[in-house]
Amino acid sequence: MIREKLSYRIISRLLPAILLLGAAIVTAYYLFARSSIAEHTAANAQMTAKNSVHSIEKIVKQAELIPANLAWMMESGSLERDSLYHFLKKLVENNPLIYASAIAFKPDKNRRLFSPYAYRNDSIVESINLGSETYNYLIMDWYQIPAMLKKPYWTEPYYDEGGANALLSTYSHPFYLIKNGNREFAGIITIDISLEWLTQTVSSVKILESGYALLISGNGVYVTHPDRNNIMNHTIFTRAKEMEIPKLREIGRSMIRGESGFDTIELPQIGKALLYYEPITSTGWSLGVIYPYKEMYASLQKLNLVIVILSAIALALLIIFISTIVGRMLRPLTKFAKSARVVAEGNFSAELPQITSKDEMRELRDSFEFMQRELTVYISNLRETTTAKEKIESELRIAKEIQMGMIPHIFPPFPQIKQIDLYAMLESAKEVGGDLYDFFLLDERNLCFAIGDVSGKGIPASLFMAVTRTLLRSLADRDKTTATILSEINSTLCLNNDSNMFVTFFIGILDTTTGDLRYCNAGHNPPVLIKSGAKAEYFEITKGIPLGLFDDFTFNEQFTKLNGGDQIFLYTDGLTEAENSSNELFSENRLIDSINISESRLPESLVKDVLRSVKLHVADNEQSDDLTMLSILYKRSDEDNSKGKEAEKSITVQSDIAQLQRINNWTEERLSRLGLPEELGNTVNLVIEEAFSNIVFYAYEPGDSEKIDLSLDCEGNMLVIELRDRGRAFDPTAKKDPDTTIPAEEREIGGLGIFLIKKLTDSVEYARIDGVNVLTIRKVVK
Amino acid sequence: MRIPKSFLIALLLLTFIQNISAQERSKIVFTPQWQPQAQFAGYYIALEQGYYSQAGLDVTIKHPSATSDIIKILTMGEADIVSAFLIHGMKAQRRGLPIKHFAQMLQHSSLMIVSRKESGIESVEDLGGRKLGIWSSGFDDLIFAMLEERKIDVRIVRILNTVNLFLEGGVDAMTVMHYNEYNTIVNCGVNPEELNTFFMRDLGLNVPEDALYCLESKYKENPEVMEAFAEATLKGWEYAANHKDYAIDLVVRHMKNANLPNNRVHQRWMLERVLEAIDPGEKPVGRGKLSKQDLQLVTSVIN
Repeated sequence: MIREKLSYRIISRLLPAILLLGAAIVTAYYLFARSSIAEHTAANAQMTAKNSVHSIEKIVKQAELIPANLAWMMESGSLERDSLYHFLKKLVENNPLIYASAIAFKPDKNRRLFSPYAYRNDSIVESINLGSETYNYLIMDWYQIPAMLKKPYWTEPYYDEGGANALLSTYSHPFYLIKNGNREFAGIITIDISLEWLTQTVSSVKILESGYALLISGNGVYVTHPDRNNIMNHTIFTRAKEMEIPKLREIGRSMIRGESGFDTIELPQIGKALLYYEPITSTGWSLGVIYPYKEMYASLQKLNLVIVILSAIALALLIIFISTIVGRMLRPLTKFAKSARVVAEGNFSAELPQITSKDEMRELRDSFEFMQRELTVYISNLRETTTAKEKIESELRIAKEIQMGMIPHIFPPFPQIKQIDLYAMLESAKEVGGDLYDFFLLDERNLCFAIGDVSGKGIPASLFMAVTRTLLRSLADRDKTTATILSEINSTLCLNNDSNMFVTFFIGILDTTTGDLRYCNAGHNPPVLIKSGAKAEYFEITKGIPLGLFDDFTFNEQFTKLNGGDQIFLYTDGLTEAENSSNELFSENRLIDSINISESRLPESLVKDVLRSVKLHVADNEQSDDLTMLSILYKRSDEDNSKGKEAEKSITVQSDIAQLQRINNWTEERLSRLGLPEELGNTVNLVIEEAFSNIVFYAYEPGDSEKIDLSLDCEGNMLVIELRDRGRAFDPTAKKDPDTTIPAEEREIGGLGIFLIKKLTDSVEYARIDGVNVLTIRKVVK
Repeated sequence: MRIPKSFLIALLLLTFIQNISAQERSKIVFTPQWQPQAQFAGYYIALEQGYYSQAGLDVTIKHPSATSDIIKILTMGEADIVSAFLIHGMKAQRRGLPIKHFAQMLQHSSLMIVSRKESGIESVEDLGGRKLGIWSSGFDDLIFAMLEERKIDVRIVRILNTVNLFLEGGVDAMTVMHYNEYNTIVNCGVNPEELNTFFMRDLGLNVPEDALYCLESKYKENPEVMEAFAEATLKGWEYAANHKDYAIDLVVRHMKNANLPNNRVHQRWMLERVLEAIDPGEKPVGRGKLSKQDLQLVTSVIN
């Protein structure tokens, strides 16, 4: 289909050009052939006419010699008057060309006419005297005209009826005699010549099919003509008038003037014809040859027809050839198209058509083959690369996960420290970054927090960050100054830091009870301080230099005091240097603004608001660096008290005996808060220890780590101790009091604890409420 | 004009039937003064169309030879009626020949002198001292009358009947008939504009030409026959005027029968000129009649 279309298009483009070219060639050929034929015909016509005229002239001249010689003989007196009859008789007898001959004398004084005349009568030649009363030759053309003009004269041809019964012409030659010493005109010598030979000569000139030769006399009378009706009846001029061809009259006039030349004439029946005429000078006649154009060019017409037919056949063949050849040449294209589709589907080894030629198709095939080869190589490379990349990416992802895993991300991290609300976030860029933050309690009141940014990115940065963080954890101590901690980390990092990496770092230790904040900066961005009820502002801090650069750098600790409601906001330069598509940085100003705009003063919402602002700024631009924020809100003390009281009425611990220390601490503090005497602590602690142990051992399977709620409160003069667990239902009060008389080793395990509790307290109650074991112990206090 | 074959056959049959009763008809031999040509088309038609037989005439047309004297033919009794120049007839009558003019066919003179323009002859006066070809057979009375009247001395060259001497330049001028030799000259390739023509009719000599003559005795015997002949002939001419092609066909046939060179072009010319000459035109005379003025003119020429 496509192939046909293409070959059709080629043909339709070529065809007009071929036709035009063909037409031009045929036309040129036709014109050339035509002019060549015309030239050839003209030359032929001229030659034919000249040949005919020549052969006529030869005979005519020969005939003319006879009277001329006779005239000389008469003048020289070598012929006697009496012998003339006999002489003429012999003359006619000996010259078959001559029909008759006469010697017409000019009349003598007696006006007597004397003209010996010999003529053919059948096969015999007879002689008479022409001159008679009834035949006054003096006024005959053959005598009168040469006599008057004193020169030889060929009469107009005439039909000699009754005599020769043939077309004759008389040649008259004047002769002279010497009389009294004077040369006087004496008469006319004639010969009558039959023009049969002449008409035969002219008629035998065959010109093509309907062309012919014609002879006209001096008066324009047709002497020979293919149409016998014209002979002797018509002149060329009457025919011109009859046929209404004025041009013929002009040609006729030219002919009888003795001129020669070519002309074109339109004749009835014959049509357009070429006419050449040539005079027969001696007689004053003229010969014309007529070449009908139709026949002149007949061969050409025939040839043209043949050429047209051949051209049509050639054209048809050409079309067939072209469509076949083009079709055949383009057939591989279809196969290529098929192969290309197969290649596109992923089969690079698709079979290609075999091309034996060394043309563009071969080139195409080579290109295809090359493409296939290259594609195969490329795709396999791509696969390898992709695999490698995927591996790297997965490693990077793991690295990132590890990095992220190092960072605390449980919020709130220290629910027991009511003075602090803390939130942090590290949104890493695509690549593993070197940001870090960390916070941990150095003791029950001192919170250590830090933020850092390792130079560079990727695995090295994250490793460096991990090292830094590990150093921080291991070196941080409430007894050390922040400057000391940094110095120590710095000197450790500087060791073996061949890759010259460094980390900007900010560390702070907040005494949660007092709000005292010690901090030290190692080249990190200044944190933002949001004073309660005031606008956010940057810390005015010593910049310091990043860690890992100079191991003997001396850092200085600084100090500030946070009041309730104050908040400190730390961040890395990933935030302030976040770029949008027009390379505008988020900047410190925008950071302050976005913090101020934020409606909430709670760290988590603040951090999230700031992140939203950054994202809004960056818009579609890719995040290029880690975004790390850490915000710590130091709460008011009165808030702490009310909330603290409520909060500290109970404690939730793991069902682990190890938790007893924590429980003891809490109990002591709780008792002191309740304003109970310190000495009560030992008893209460013992009771709680026994109750807790019971639950751990009996309510739960060993190794289980479930929560146990412990609350301690006063109801009037009663101290109420309540323990709640979700373990299996276990009523310690249902146990019989142990037999204390039996040595401890032999007694049943358990039972002793509850016995002790009962002894030390005033009431022990057990209840199972909604799958929860509730043990309530009461003791009267002062 | 073509006559349907069936009509011609019917006509022939009719002629045949009429011939049976020819004994009762007047037998007429008519001889024109020259060989067959369109000059006599009217006679051929009158015969062919049966006008003569309708008039009770049994006419035979018998042409003379080129050299015959027409008046002699009449007086010798070789013909009952001849056509002859009025001037010839009158001269014969002068000589006392008993011939009777009973019809005047051609009212106008066609005689003229023609010369080549290159000869410098611009008027008849220029003919003085120049060679003028004149037929040996006569027709020269008017020319001589004209030359005499104008006192022009020309060198007369008698010629038989061709125009060849003129064409060859043997004579400077030549007397010709407008309807015949003039056109022959043109038909020999001389263009009319190369010729100067001097018509006798323009020189005060518009003498009528062809007239019909019979012997006086015959006329006295039976004038109705002669008149009927003239009448039928005029009818023939009228038919010729309306059927020129037919007339020419007929003429050519007669010429062919007489083995004469012929062509329709020349015969048409002649027919048309002769028809013009038959029409009296401004002359106060009927067709076929001779006016008194013309009679006087001819008489004066002869004298």
